[in-house]
Amino acid sequence: MYLVANIDQSICAATSCKLCTQYCPEANTIQYDNEAGKDKGFKYGAAYVAVDRCKGCAQCVWVCDNMAKHHAIKMEMIDQIGDAALTENITYHDKNTKAVLASPLKG
Amino acid sequence: MSLDYVKFTPGFGKFMPKEYRDMVEHGPFGKKTSVSQVGTFKEILEEHPMCAGCAMTLFIRLAIISFPNPEDTITVGTAGCGRLAISQAAIPFVYGNYGDQNGVASGLSRGLRLRFGDRPKDVVVMAGDGGTADIGFAQTLHSWFRKEKFTTIMLDNEVYGNTGGQESGMTNKNQVLKMAPLGKKFEKMDMLGMAKVAGCAYVATVVPNNPRRVESVIKKAVLIAREIGPTYIQAYTSCNIEYAIPTDKVMEDAKEVENDRYKFSEYITDEAKQYLGELYGYKEYLPKPAAAVAKS
Ligand SMILES: Cc1ncc(C[n+]2csc(CCOP(=O)(O)OP(=O)(O)O)c2C)c(N)n1
Ligand code: SF4
Ligand code: SF4
Ligand code: SF4
Ligand SMILES: [Mg+2]
Repeated sequence: MYLVANIDQSICAATSCKLCTQYCPEANTIQYDNEAGKDKGFKYGAAYVAVDRCKGCAQCVWVCDNMAKHHAIKMEMIDQIGDAALTENITYHDKNTKAVLASPLKG
Repeated sequence: MSLDYVKFTPGFGKFMPKEYRDMVEHGPFGKKTSVSQVGTFKEILEEHPMCAGCAMTLFIRLAIISFPNPEDTITVGTAGCGRLAISQAAIPFVYGNYGDQNGVASGLSRGLRLRFGDRPKDVVVMAGDGGTADIGFAQTLHSWFRKEKFTTIMLDNEVYGNTGGQESGMTNKNQVLKMAPLGKKFEKMDMLGMAKVAGCAYVATVVPNNPRRVESVIKKAVLIAREIGPTYIQAYTSCNIEYAIPTDKVMEDAKEVENDRYKFSEYITDEAKQYLGELYGYKEYLPKPAAAVAKS
């Protein structure tokens, strides 16, 4: 098993600073969903990780902890995070994306 | 080399991989996308085999997002780590022999001008410090002296990363590396100074811990190279492997190096300022109105 980044959307949605995705070295790996967190009263959406593209470098953790100071990202074993975003389940909308979460380890 | 080359042949769309369909339908071609919108559009760069957390990867990602007209851009590269990613992008990439990149780009940029006339086609070279300042040194300098109109970007990790840690002309003095066990005996080459002497119209240093600044220098360099003359960007893009930087400390290292020896610097000729101001609306380069001049 290996580590991937996992974003706590309830922490992220409270701010949604959009910093981490500008610092992830991999393209289309940290994505934005404008609707995330709206059911909990947050306005701006939240980030999520397409775990199949994440190389586990933890640079986003450093950025969220030290630059954004929001502590919303943790490195977790891919088999421990339950359902996650995968590239094949991501839909692009105009200036927004949406992922249907699925288990990264099941087919 | 137009918006059509990213479209599907009618009827074939549904057989294409999802990444390709996303690129056609939600890529940045023909739109004005910016670094602040990342995470909402399909990027030109795809998955690639460069190391996890490599700052060079981040820089290449940001640079490609920042191209002013990606649908009219060709990248040129050479041996070294960067080509492993630059080649995995949805824009044409030309691979020169090690060190040939600025010669190849000279011919390419001249040919494109003959073929397309005034319609801008941007040529951007991205090569390592070894490729640019050592093996490609003569071709790099000569392309600048000849005033070839394209952008040269040095991916400066201060080492030969791809071949396991030999010193380059851009390695700092006394630096010990796997294949330079006694430490480098000479100073880091002043390629910025040489770029100015050789006649580059725009010269900048940048570190990827400031994505918006990377975007700004790439845009300026590419636009100026269209009509004014050669442009040069020297980017500090650390090598985790040869400099033993833990991947979650890469941005910390970038900040330290930026403060220490890689401060942001920008040189731009008056001709280039006027061009950016008049043609592309860069307010900071437009002459101040008479009233403001009188006040200051
Ligand atoms: C003519 C030639 N000589 C040597 C090599 C072997 N070679 C491949 S990459 C490389 C060094 C690359 O260093 P640099 O240009 O700094 O790029 P980096 O890998 O550090 O990004 C060398 C020497 C080659 N491919 N071609
Ligand atoms: S840096 Fe943290 S708070 Fe900001 S968008 Fe990323 S995960 Fe959310
Ligand atoms: S761990 Fe690295 S590759 Fe994965 S999302 Fe974070 S920055 Fe991107
Ligand atoms: S060897 Fe160094 S420069 Fe090359 S991809 Fe790995 S970390 Fe980056
Ligand atoms: Mg190098």
